[in-house]
Amino acid sequence: MGLRGHKTAVVSSGLAVRFLVALMGPTHVAFPSHWVRGIVTPAEGGQDGHVTWANASYERTDLARRLTIQAKGVTAETRIVLYANEQRSRSFAVDKVVGLIDVERTLIQPLPAQFRGGERERLLGLFVESSYIALIANPFWVLELPSRTNVLDVFALRVSERRPGEFDSRLRLPSAALEEASAMSVGSAK
Amino acid sequence: MLRTQLGRQPHKGSNGATEARMQHMVVFSVGGQRLAARTEEIGGVMPWTGLTAVPSDTPFVRALVRQEKGCLPVFDLAAKFKRSLQDGEPLCLVVKHVDGPLAICIDSQVPSLHMVARSAVQYRAGNDPDIAGTCIAGEEELPIINLTTLGVSSNRPA
Repeated sequence: MGLRGHKTAVVSSGLAVRFLVALMGPTHVAFPSHWVRGIVTPAEGGQDGHVTWANASYERTDLARRLTIQAKGVTAETRIVLYANEQRSRSFAVDKVVGLIDVERTLIQPLPAQFRGGERERLLGLFVESSYIALIANPFWVLELPSRTNVLDVFALRVSERRPGEFDSRLRLPSAALEEASAMSVGSAK
Repeated sequence: MLRTQLGRQPHKGSNGATEARMQHMVVFSVGGQRLAARTEEIGGVMPWTGLTAVPSDTPFVRALVRQEKGCLPVFDLAAKFKRSLQDGEPLCLVVKHVDGPLAICIDSQVPSLHMVARSAVQYRAGNDPDIAGTCIAGEEELPIINLTTLGVSSNRPA
């Protein structure tokens, strides 16, 4: 299962964060892609609350409910995102995978201070794309781990260190997805 | 994008003393509810461009709206007053909020600028800290809304 594309919204040589953008209900949610381990279809995901992929097990979490987003329900575009770090792994459904995008660190805005509730734990901030505003999910919260300060700095990549078209080696998607995403990214990544 | 309505107010000349006795107010409506606000609390009025929902626990703050290259949080004043916005193309009132610029979706009627005699403005604390008091603008007695601190000290419905 592949990504729809790989877009680079970065032109400077500063720091950038790569996100997997997905639709959950009407909301564009961005996940730091460093911890994306794969994207599979619901059929590939299994029914027992766990997804096993490449000899790793991912416990299912209803991320839409935790985010208080009304998801669409399973459609042909529903995908299961496999998300993990060294400590914890989770899998969760999204209504549609939009693609990968590199966002310059300086273009990432914090959640406005007027948002004062639990959303401040769940969402790190946002970025504005031409056709949508993406809300950045806190990856520690997604994995139900204690959060930390300056979370996005953990995921920042120095753009100048990557060559055009080079894919982040830390992003280990299932091979089919990686090949498809890489093919789609040719000519679009700067 | 503001209409001025000076003619209805007492006119006692243009000297500074008279100016000092006047308060500039902007009158706008949300779901037909007419409200007044101090002009210095308003950053501008723009066309409403649609919003992006944010899964939020903060009462009445559950969306973002695009503004130029960025976006602003939206305070749902209509929901606070349990109103529905009137038909027509709504407008975006940009507020100089203490926490940063804030957008409010208001009725399509363009806000009007009033000079109100200070004697016609009554500030008083009530049950709703978002309401500062009342003023008489034109022939209407209108609640004055505290836009700069909207939602800060009260999350209760009006």
